[in-house]
Amino acid sequence: MSEAPRNATPDPGDTARAARGGWVEWLERRINLSELFSLITHFGLVYTPVDTRKPLREVLREIGSLPVTAYARWPQVLGVLAALLFALQTATGVLLAYYYRPTPEAAFESTRTIVRDLPSGWFLHEMHAWGAYLLVAVVALRLMRLFWDGLYRAPRELLWFAAVAMAWLVLQMDFTGRLLTWNAQSYWSTVRGMEVVWALPVAGPILAFFLGGRVVNEDVLIRFYVLHVIVLPAFYAACIYVTFGTLRRVGLSYPSAAGARVVTSFRAHLVDLLILTVLLFAVLVTLTTLLPFGFLAPADPYTTPAGVRPPWYMLATYALLQRAPVPMWLSGGVMLAAAFGVLLLPLWVRGDGGPRHLRRTRLWGVVALAVWIVLGILGATLDRP
Amino acid sequence: MSARPIVRRSASRLHRHAAVALGLLAAAAAWAQPGARPAPTPQPGALSPSAGRCGVCHPAERVKFDASQHAHEGVRCTSCHGGDDRSLTIELAHGGNFRGRTARKDIPALCASCHSDEKMMRAYNLPVDQYAVYQTSVHGQRLKRGDTAVAVCSDCHGAHDILGPGDPASRTFAPNIPATCGACHGDTTLMRRRGVKDAYREYLSSIHARELLDRGNLRAPTCVSCHGVHGAAPPAVGDVDKVCGQCHTAERRYFAASAHIEGMRRAGLPECSSCHGDHAIQAAQPERLATSCAQCHAADSDQAALGAKLWTEYRAAAAEIEKADSLITRADAIPIQTDDYRARIEQARTYLREALPAAHSVDPVIVGGFTLRARSVGSEVESEIYGKLGNLRTRKFVLILFWFYVLVTLAILRRLRYRTAKAH
Repeated sequence: MSEAPRNATPDPGDTARAARGGWVEWLERRINLSELFSLITHFGLVYTPVDTRKPLREVLREIGSLPVTAYARWPQVLGVLAALLFALQTATGVLLAYYYRPTPEAAFESTRTIVRDLPSGWFLHEMHAWGAYLLVAVVALRLMRLFWDGLYRAPRELLWFAAVAMAWLVLQMDFTGRLLTWNAQSYWSTVRGMEVVWALPVAGPILAFFLGGRVVNEDVLIRFYVLHVIVLPAFYAACIYVTFGTLRRVGLSYPSAAGARVVTSFRAHLVDLLILTVLLFAVLVTLTTLLPFGFLAPADPYTTPAGVRPPWYMLATYALLQRAPVPMWLSGGVMLAAAFGVLLLPLWVRGDGGPRHLRRTRLWGVVALAVWIVLGILGATLDRP
Repeated sequence: MSARPIVRRSASRLHRHAAVALGLLAAAAAWAQPGARPAPTPQPGALSPSAGRCGVCHPAERVKFDASQHAHEGVRCTSCHGGDDRSLTIELAHGGNFRGRTARKDIPALCASCHSDEKMMRAYNLPVDQYAVYQTSVHGQRLKRGDTAVAVCSDCHGAHDILGPGDPASRTFAPNIPATCGACHGDTTLMRRRGVKDAYREYLSSIHARELLDRGNLRAPTCVSCHGVHGAAPPAVGDVDKVCGQCHTAERRYFAASAHIEGMRRAGLPECSSCHGDHAIQAAQPERLATSCAQCHAADSDQAALGAKLWTEYRAAAAEIEKADSLITRADAIPIQTDDYRARIEQARTYLREALPAAHSVDPVIVGGFTLRARSVGSEVESEIYGKLGNLRTRKFVLILFWFYVLVTLAILRRLRYRTAKAH
């Protein structure tokens, strides 16, 4: 097949092939391939409606030569990575779920079987773990970037809500996922994390109820498993769908630099995405092979190993709960208010969106981040049995 | 008709008499049944079911006796001392067949009057040969010769406060036995006068005593485990390996097959204790292989060289096992399947452990059989784990190939991208 698009005149070679009857044409005579293909326009991947009366090859050629705003590059690449990494996590996660058994007796054993005894099981396990790390980093960076560029203002509120929800969901997937291996560190880290969850006023007890109670036992494990493999990924997928759909309506954003908009053909853009995927995969494989996570002892609910802390994104709340000289509900409430404050940013940030307003908001954001980091460091130095 | 009131009257009289009789019976029952009254606190002077009225004048003895096994089994003061324990006057109480304090030389016979009675002891499943056995002991022999400063029954069992050997408060409860024997055998002047060594302190420094007294291991040997209980005597040359071999069976088996046993008996050397000492026995130290031989044989003799060789082999095997063990720990953390290796290392440790008893055979073929086997299992495990660790290096090598492939793919895609953009 020819790589270069020739949208001007029908290629005589193509017509000849059609007459000879390739397999695409063979199918085309029986079903409307273009109609089937037009499904992908629903996901916002293709920006134009598809003329379903034309044959598929022609449709593809037309779409391929459409001018699109490229987004497989900085800074929009963070959103693409959030979707790509999620796809990768789904693939490795499904394969891991074939062997994983979510009971306290079997969880560690089955994980060890995957890592130690299955061919390439270690690879899947480590890919999933490193993918999770990168995904957390990507959604966090993406949120910061959106904030920095003021992309929570009309008409992009829905994108902001979806981005915050994605960040929350990724952290929850991380929190629920790390318990599943049921090793000493992950178990006790979850125990500390549940203390933080429990301390949140109103929301804490409700969440803890849905997570299976305060004590980390078999009930909590099975709930975490269900949340991790079904509920949270479904919501995350919904967020991706909302993001793509909304982007299709409001368009990509280029507020920071006037010349940043790059228009290219859709075909070239697809190649860019492919290159990005290959690079991402290569980086993950490298991390997986060179820096595998160690494999720790199984969890023992009666022995606390030294230096146990909640997951890093809970450290700030943890420090506040453990050290702040205020009632627990108050420090929990502050953190809850902060979380919802970020979500509802479009509601309370007023102003014209001009450079002065943007600078002021950025300053507030940087101060809040600094406080959060300092609290987090404080939480990391807390060591209690 | 007229008989009726008479009958009624006599019946009422009968009732009255019956009531009085019943009251008396109840009182008697209450008096006779200790359980019917509140639990008696030992009141010196009060009437005791076991001590009778003896405690009125002998309160200290009565309190001790009431707590003893004898009191529990219905033995009374009069069983040993004679007299009448229901009397309150000295003349009557100490009258009749009263024997008073039994002389030391007569104590074994007195105890034997019951304890050698098969009919009496059968219900308690107690042996009845203690008296006969005692008479064969060094204690019994000396007593027979008129030396009354030797152990008689009451020295070890107590006089009034006798308890069974299963009672932790008893003098004959295993951890209390060294102190019981040590009461005399730790008395240096008493022992020196009889030419007996002060074994008590030596024993306290031994591994046996540490096991028994510090770690509470009731199976550790006390004095009586080696010397006998009632027939206490030091084991003779030729018997030492039998005594030690009660527990150290493997050592005894190898020793019995060795060249040592004949030579040592001829030279009058006690078997085990010539190398290990008698009472101050220490834990098995493999490094003694290197030094023990030179204690009797010349330092440059073949025998001393053999000992050094055994020690070298043992040490090499132990080092190999330790190395394999640390490799397993490393492999576990990766993780690599190590369950099989752990089992094999345990097997190697078992071989090595058996090399120590086998060393009593002083046969390099037998000992080497164990140490070399232990060593080869260790090195097999080691090389297999090294092989698996090598797989990790393969992973890194594959990573290089993978990156080569990625770069080629990227180059192709880049070219495709360029051509696409140009065409556009």
